Formats: sequence, structure tokens, C-alpha cells
Amino acid sequence: MSGQEQQADKTQQNQANPTQGGGYQQYQQYNQGQGYQQYNQGGYQQYNQGQAGYQQYNQQGYQQYNQQGGYQQYNQAAGYQQYNQQGGYQPQYNQQQVQGYRQNYNKGRGGYKNYNNRNNYNNSYNNGSNYNQNAYMNSQPFQPQQNQGMTLEDFQKQQQSTVTDTKPKKTLKLVSSSGIKLANATKKSEKKKEEEPKAAESKEDAKPVTKEEGKPAAKEEEKKTDLPAVEKLSISDDTKESSVPSIIPSTSAPAGGSDALVKEQEDEVDEEVVKDMFGGKDHVSIIFMGHVDAGKSTMGGNLLYLTGSVDKRTVEKYEREAKDAGRQGWYLSWVMDTNKEERNDGKTIEVGRAYFETEKRRYTILDAPGHKMYVSEMIGGASQADVGILVISARKGEYETGFEKGGQTREHALLAKTQGVNNMIVVVNKMDDPTVNWSKERYDQCVSNITNFLKAIGYNVKEDVIFMPVSGFSGAGLKDRVDSKTCPWYTGPALLEYLDSMTHVDRHINSPFMLPISGKMKDMGTVVEGKIESGHIKKGQSTLMMPNKIPIEIQNIYNETENEVEMAICGEQVKLRIKGVEEEDISPGFVLTSPKNPIKNVTRFVAQIAIVELKSIMSAGFSCVMHVHTAIEEVTITRLLHKLEKGTNRKSKKPPAFAKKGMKIIALLETEEPVCIETYEDYPQLGRFTLRDQGTTIAIGKIVKTIS
Amino acid sequence: MDLETEAEKNIEIWKVKKLIQGLQKARGNGTSMISLVIPPKGQISIIQKMLTDEYGTASNIKSRVNRLSVLSAITSTQQKLKLYTKVPPNGLVLYCGDMITDEGKEKKVTYDIEPYKPINTSLYMCDNKFHTEVLSELLEADDKFGFIVMDGQGTLFGLLSGNTRTVLHKFTVDLPKKHGRGGQSAVRFARLREEKRHNYVRKVAEVAVQNFIANDKVTVKGLILAGSADFKTDLNKSELFDQRLQSRVIKIVDVSYGGENGFNQAIELSAETLANVKFVQEKKLLTEYFDEISQDTGKFCYGIDDTLKALDLGAVETLIVYENLETIRYTFKDAEDKEIIRFAEPNATDKSYAIDKATGQEMEVIEEKPFVEWLAESYKDYGATLEFITNKSSEGAQFVTGFGGIGGILRYKVNFEQLIEDSEDEYYDDDDEVESDYDFI
Repeated sequence: MSGQEQQADKTQQNQANPTQGGGYQQYQQYNQGQGYQQYNQGGYQQYNQGQAGYQQYNQQGYQQYNQQGGYQQYNQAAGYQQYNQQGGYQPQYNQQQVQGYRQNYNKGRGGYKNYNNRNNYNNSYNNGSNYNQNAYMNSQPFQPQQNQGMTLEDFQKQQQSTVTDTKPKKTLKLVSSSGIKLANATKKSEKKKEEEPKAAESKEDAKPVTKEEGKPAAKEEEKKTDLPAVEKLSISDDTKESSVPSIIPSTSAPAGGSDALVKEQEDEVDEEVVKDMFGGKDHVSIIFMGHVDAGKSTMGGNLLYLTGSVDKRTVEKYEREAKDAGRQGWYLSWVMDTNKEERNDGKTIEVGRAYFETEKRRYTILDAPGHKMYVSEMIGGASQADVGILVISARKGEYETGFEKGGQTREHALLAKTQGVNNMIVVVNKMDDPTVNWSKERYDQCVSNITNFLKAIGYNVKEDVIFMPVSGFSGAGLKDRVDSKTCPWYTGPALLEYLDSMTHVDRHINSPFMLPISGKMKDMGTVVEGKIESGHIKKGQSTLMMPNKIPIEIQNIYNETENEVEMAICGEQVKLRIKGVEEEDISPGFVLTSPKNPIKNVTRFVAQIAIVELKSIMSAGFSCVMHVHTAIEEVTITRLLHKLEKGTNRKSKKPPAFAKKGMKIIALLETEEPVCIETYEDYPQLGRFTLRDQGTTIAIGKIVKTIS
Repeated sequence: MDLETEAEKNIEIWKVKKLIQGLQKARGNGTSMISLVIPPKGQISIIQKMLTDEYGTASNIKSRVNRLSVLSAITSTQQKLKLYTKVPPNGLVLYCGDMITDEGKEKKVTYDIEPYKPINTSLYMCDNKFHTEVLSELLEADDKFGFIVMDGQGTLFGLLSGNTRTVLHKFTVDLPKKHGRGGQSAVRFARLREEKRHNYVRKVAEVAVQNFIANDKVTVKGLILAGSADFKTDLNKSELFDQRLQSRVIKIVDVSYGGENGFNQAIELSAETLANVKFVQEKKLLTEYFDEISQDTGKFCYGIDDTLKALDLGAVETLIVYENLETIRYTFKDAEDKEIIRFAEPNATDKSYAIDKATGQEMEVIEEKPFVEWLAESYKDYGATLEFITNKSSEGAQFVTGFGGIGGILRYKVNFEQLIEDSEDEYYDDDDEVESDYDFI
């Protein structure tokens, strides 16, 4: 969810509760979350670290989702809950506190996308007593609320059921607490106990309310109402790690949709499973990109080697073989480039995948080909990545060619941006080269050029981009920091260090399940792979394959390490063995989607297009190739509707006769085959696309409206 | 051949094309439509004799209606033939017969065509339709070039001939991706992968034979291999690839996509090699036109109104027209006996173009003819060269849908009024979020 959307949600919330600021509401949730945590006596930390993003998303994303129809009941449930809580709180709080918190909250929010501001939370919350007081207060006002929301009988019944329900879940999620929370832990422990039931009650609050309104799917609501509580937990956390487990229980309801499913899932999720599955680490996909021969594969190979994912013997073997093949020094890239052709030519052709783990996180490396010919491959890879690593060769001459017209540094960075890779790490590679020799001047020169360029594309260089000098071949600056003797002027973190500490990207955990298929194979059944763009999936669950609308069942789920798991959530790269469809009937670009909210499947859509590079002109009848998530389709512009004024983005009244480089237009596009797309507003990942023709990227765009 | 005559030849071709379209649609009563083709060295007298014989045979036809119409068709053919003392250098094509018009009336038509290229067939046919195959062949007789666009997803076999671009065949293939799996089976996976790729090359080679070799002869003048990875070079080197085809490979190009887009790009990239092909010339012309537009030189026009204005000014250097432009040019006579010219789409329901603005009455139609025909006749009066284009190339499609199928490159900059018209209030105000934006749907 983009920052703007969050903002929008925010305002919606505000409107709903005019007396209170949005921040206030959040704050309350926060408190509750804390309550849980404390109650559970630590162990939470791990989960909570890095969870802020998820939860934020959950709360807000949910509501938005609901408003679009379908899940009305949920919405109200959630809304009610919050409302009630707030109602209770208000008298208790003194305004100043509220203010203070809100500020904190807001600060944090600015950084949601990047989570850079996490520490704000910690700092403010760690003020100990302050916090506790608040927490304490929370517990009291809650009682009356329950009464408001429901009859006593109702409440008690539900309390019994839900309290028992929820408690185990919460304990599940607690892993080990550490750091900041510890300081408070002792003090809080008692209060936690109080808060815990309270929280449970609050959930129940919501349930009855909705029931009274006569909404169906009470079960789901119950689930949902759990959500906020869970989410609250994590808002407080700072460092991120296994966000996964805490989310699971909450997500199941929304994504699954049906009552039965929800129940099933409730039953199934228990502690061991959760632990087994995620091992307390979250998952990030990173993509290496950059001009050909910048050292992407070598760096990827070296990372694998340094983290121990490839053992020394194999690497030595490659080294020997590479020497025999007359390609000494290329052995590290051989780890990534497994094909004969790739090794012979020394250039990656297909996107390579590899997996490694650090103490803190699990990573999937996507190694994009840098060659101009294979940019279409690279786009497919970029669509699956969370974080982009732009590899730039500092070597004299190589750096310059990467930026010339037709150089891939430029194109890749742009493509990554359009594919939704918002966090960029620019590594200036080959610093150990004799022509560079860790020279600060050269590094600064590279950085300043790239900075300007990235700014032009739309990266927020201050927040989303970091620069670091490395040597992919020697490994300097990858795992460990560069030796201060060789490079006294750089004191920042090493690549892995930075990746580990990086804050998390938004995940659409509560949205309907969607997975664009990036690959398929036959392996004792039909196996498809891809990145889950939203929602989550569970073994045995039934989903729908679009665009051919085939109902399929998930038989097995394999994660990055080829291990079988019970469920997977948004953001993960998974392989799914599916039943109900033959391998021949699938092609990349198909989307697995939740049956209740299937992805839109259309041949015509309206899109906003920005033309970045075009030799001639674009008019109706123009045809080119469109990349959207993993799909590649030929597309024709059937009608130009408006042009957008530079700067103000105002629409022209008359459609332009044609569009040329630098213009922004709104146009009607048509594909020959149906494609699975969503509007950018609803699912940014599935609603942004790139137009290419004649081997160059000519335009980027977002889908404004689908026409069925 | 200099440019001028080249352009004229193109117009000639276009006229033949139009004619064929018309003839193909014509249907007659019984078997009274005569198609007669005489090769260059044929003799008129022999044909005349044959027609007289046919006349005798036809008088035995039982059905009175049919007999009469056949006899009259033969007579008019003979009359037409009498106008020729000898067969023209390129041969002669005659069509004659009673065709039934849309209103169900009979209409007698006689066409005599002197082909612009020698025609080496002889044909006499009495049928209920005209036989135009000979002429169609004539149009297609340009050099043919084959394309094989091969990448990891599939292969496309295409043909480029004259200004037509056809996809002969395409199929998709599933090749295993670069695998991440390893362990002791790593070698096996690698081997399986190699095998699949090898089989793919074999299949492409076989299909290539089916598409480009007929009766043990290569049907194309040259073959162009395109693709994104190494497959195309593999194919070229492969023993499986037919030797006869291999010897015809004139170029290997790198394209970034397979399928149609790859085909287009392959044509683009091999433009130099194919410089004489009409299709490529057409692309070149349109690219030039689009360049004028994108550079904002002002030396361009599009749309009927602007183009006519530019023609009147004598500013048009090259007039570009879509060959199947359907617009009709009406000449009306208004209440004051003045000639008024209007343009309209043939099937337009709105007949307002026929209304006299002064009186509100429908005007009298003096003449009604396709706009394109009018242009073909009168372009020389305006000092322009006329180029017909198709919508087969991507540029052509863009020109037809985006610019209405008519436009021109100008000699000097012309400021059309329309450009100034409403430059002030061009954009909606910010709050003007109009719902009707997507009304067209």
C-alpha cells in the first residue's frame, strides 16, 4: 500500500471518529498490543520485530478492502471495535498524552514504507512508566464498553470461547523477547494479565455488535476482530523478524473467505507448525541488476559463498573448472550461472535464483541478466523482488558505458522502480580494481551521478536509496565491512549487515490471495512457482487459476529451500504443487487467486502512461509489448483519451492525436489474449506495467480501470 | 526505375487491387460471367474464333434467360476485343457479364485490363463469378522472404511479400528454466534440459521445411532468422536444418521478443537487406512521417480537412493514404446551384452532411465516389506524390487508427487553424474530476 493510500485510509478513519485523531486510534491499538505482549511474558519480540508494517497494513488495508465490497461485515466489526475502545478511552486520557503519542505515531508513519523510523516507537515507548500507565488505564475503561456493545449473556459466552481461542494463539506467537521490551517487562507482567482478558473482551465486543446487526459470517468476524489485537502487538516492535507467525491466525480469515476454511485454519495452526515453518525469520527477495559485466552474478555467487550456502568444495571445483575453461576469475559467477551457454559466454541469460540465510533473515537472490537482449527476463525477475541491488562497476570505462544511451544501468533502475522495487541499494562494485583502487574521488563521482539519475526516476534518494563501495570478487564490503586500511573513508555498513537491518516492506497479508505464476514444471504433478503478491495460502486450500478459471487445489507448498511447509504468506517465493490442471494449460503470467475475489481478467483497460523513451510517436493503433507482473503480452493502444499537463497532471479535454517522448497520457489499451490485472489503486503490484518495443523500454504505466 | 514511375506503378497496383475487390464481389445470373485472359504472345484472331465457336455452343443452352445473357456477354466480349489490333505487350485481361447489383437489378459490366506486368496464363471461363486469381497472383508476384522468429517460448514462421506480412505458423514450447535444483541429480537435470532444447531445435527445423519448401523447392527468396537467445544460431548451425533452407539464410538478427512483436522487430532490423520490398519502403515512409511529427517540425498534416487545405496550398510533398480508406466524396448541388463537396463514411447513419445549411433541405447529389479514387485521379493537380499504405505494418496500423488513414509530409510549415483553436482552456481544472471520462465504454 502506498503512502498515499495509507493517508487516505487515515483520513477515513478520522472521519469516522471525528473526536479523535487518527493517531489516537492507532495509539490505542498500540497499547493493547503491548498488553498482549507483556502478558505473554516475552518471547514476542522475535515476532514483533519488524511487524509494524504488517499490522499497519492489516488495519488499514482491511478497511479499504472492505469498502470495496464483499467483506462488509468485517469492516464493521473492525470499525466497531476500534470505536468502542476509543469511546472508553477518551475520558481516561489526558489530552497531552494523546498528543504526544500521536506525534510519535505520526513520525513512525512517515517511514512506514521504509520503516526507517522505527526507533521512534521504541524510544517513546521505552519511557517505561509512561507507557505502563497508559497500559494500565486501558484495562479499566474496557469493562463498560463490553456492556455497551452487547448483552451480558452474549458477552460471557463469547468470552469463554474466544478467550480460550485467542490465548493459545497469542502464546504461540511469543518467541523470545529481547532488547527494549525487557526493560519494561518486569513491571508490566501483572498488568499484562489484566490486559489480556481485556483484549479478548474487546474482540468480543466487536463480534456481538456485528451480530446484532444481523450480518452473516460471524465466524469470520470473530477471526477478524482478532486481527486488530494481533496487529497491535506488532506495531510496537522495532526490529523486524518473523512477522509471519503472528499474522497467520489473523490472515486466515480474510483471505480464505469461507467460514469453513476459517475454522479449519483456526484449528490447524499450532505452535510447532508455526515454528517449523518460519524458524523465526522473515523472508526478503533481492534482485541484482545493472549493466552487463558489472559483476552481478559474481557478487551473488560470493554472497552465497560467504554465507555458507555454497560449500567450499563446490566453489573450489568451479574454480578448477573455470580455469580449465580459460575463464579464471569467473568461478564465482558460475555459482549463479548454471547453464552451459551462460558459462561459456560469461553472461547470464535467464534470471538465476538462489537462497541463503543469515542469522536474522532468509533471502532469495534473483540474479538478473544485464545484457540488453534479455531485459524482458530481468523484468520478470524484478517483479518478484522486494529490494533492488543496483550493481555499478567503478572500473574506468565500464561505469561510463553503463550510463550511455543503451546502457542498462538506467533502464534497469527504471524498470525496477516500475515493478515496485522501492528500496534500492546501489553498490559501487570493483572498487579493488587497479583503475579505481578504493579511490574516494571515483566513488563520489559515481555516487553523485547516480543520485541525480535515481532522483530523476522518482526514487527518494535520501530515504530509499543507500550507496556503498564493495568488491564483489574479493568480497570486501559484502559480509564484513571494508577494511579500514584500504578504505578509510567509508564507515557505513556492509551489504549483508545493511540488508539484515533493513526495515520491512509492506505486505498485503489480509488481502485476497494472489500469486502470479512465474514458472512451472512437471514434478510428480504440476508444480508452479511464483511470489505471493497478496494474502496467504495454505496446504489443501482451493484456489482459482485465472484467466482460464480452473479451480485448483494446493497439494503441497515448498518454500525457497525446497522444504515442504504448511502455509506461506505474502512476499514469499514458493513452489506449489497443484491439482486440477495440467502443466500444458498453464503459462507464466497466469494468476492463482482466491475464488471469492478473483483477479480481474480482461482484454481492455484504461491506463495512465508515461512515455520515457520513444523514437517516433505513439498514437492509436500503436502496438508494443506489455510486461505486467510476470505476464508478457502484446498490447495495442486503441484510443488516446487525455494527455496530462506537465507538473499539475491535469487532464486535457481533448484527446491528443498522438503522444511523444516525455508526455503523460491516459489511453485505452487492448490485448489480444485476456490478461490478469488489477487496478493500481487496489493492487499496485498487479496494476503497474511496462511497455517495451524494439528492445527498449518506451513507457511505464499504471492501470486506472479495467473494462470487462 | 526512377521514383516518379515507381509511385505511378504503385497507384496502378492499387487500382488493380480495387478492381479485384470489386470483381470478386460481383455475382451474375446463371453462368454468364466471362473471364478471359490472353498471354502476351497470344493472337487476337484466334481468340475471336474461339469466341465465335463458344457463341455457337451457347445458343444451345436450354434456359432462355441464361442463354440470352451468355450470348450477350460473348457478343460484348467480342466487341471489346475488336478494339485491340494486337495483344498488348503484357497480355490482356477481359471481364464481361451481367452482374446483379445490391438492389437486385442487372448491370452489364465490361472491363479490359492491361496488366502492368507480363501475365503468362491463358484462360477462358464462363461462370457465375469472375475469376480474378490471375490478377491476384500478379499482385503477389513480388519476392518473398521467410522469417523464423525463435526464442525460448516458441517459434513464429512468417512471410513478407510485397506489402503483405503474413504469419504462416506459430507454436509455443515449454522449455525447462534454469534450474536451482542440485545435488546428485544436477547433472541429470542439466542433461534433460539439453535434450529438450535439442528437440525444440529439431522441431523448428522440421516445421521450417513444411513452411518454406513446397514440391522440393524453396518458396522464398531469402530467409531471416531472428530470436532472443542462441537458438537461432543453433538452428543455423544444426545439421537438422535443411541444407536448401540454410543456403537461403540471408541474415540473422537479435530481437528481444518472440511472436508478432519479434517478427516486426526482425523486419525492422533487416530493413537494409530487404530494402526493395514494398513493406519495408512503406515502413520507411511512415517512420519519416512520424519523425516529422515527433520533432514538431510542423511539416505534416493529417485528417481529411487539413490535408485538403494543404493540398490546395500546394504544400503537400508526399500524400499518404490508406489504401482501404472508405470515405466517400460527395458532390452536391445546393439551392443556388453551387457545387458543394462533402465527405462521409459510407455507412454513416447521420445524413446531416447532405443537408444544405442555408435551406435545411437535402441537396441533390451530383457525384459520389470514393475519396481514394478521387485522390488517385487528381493528386497530380496538386503537385504531390501519392503513396498508398496498408495497415499491415505496425506503423501502418498506427497511421490508420491514429491519424484517420490520410496525411501528408509538407514542403513547408503550415499553420492549421485547428492548432490555435483552443489552446487556452486545454486542461480540466483540478477539481473538475469528470465522471464522464470513461463514458465511451
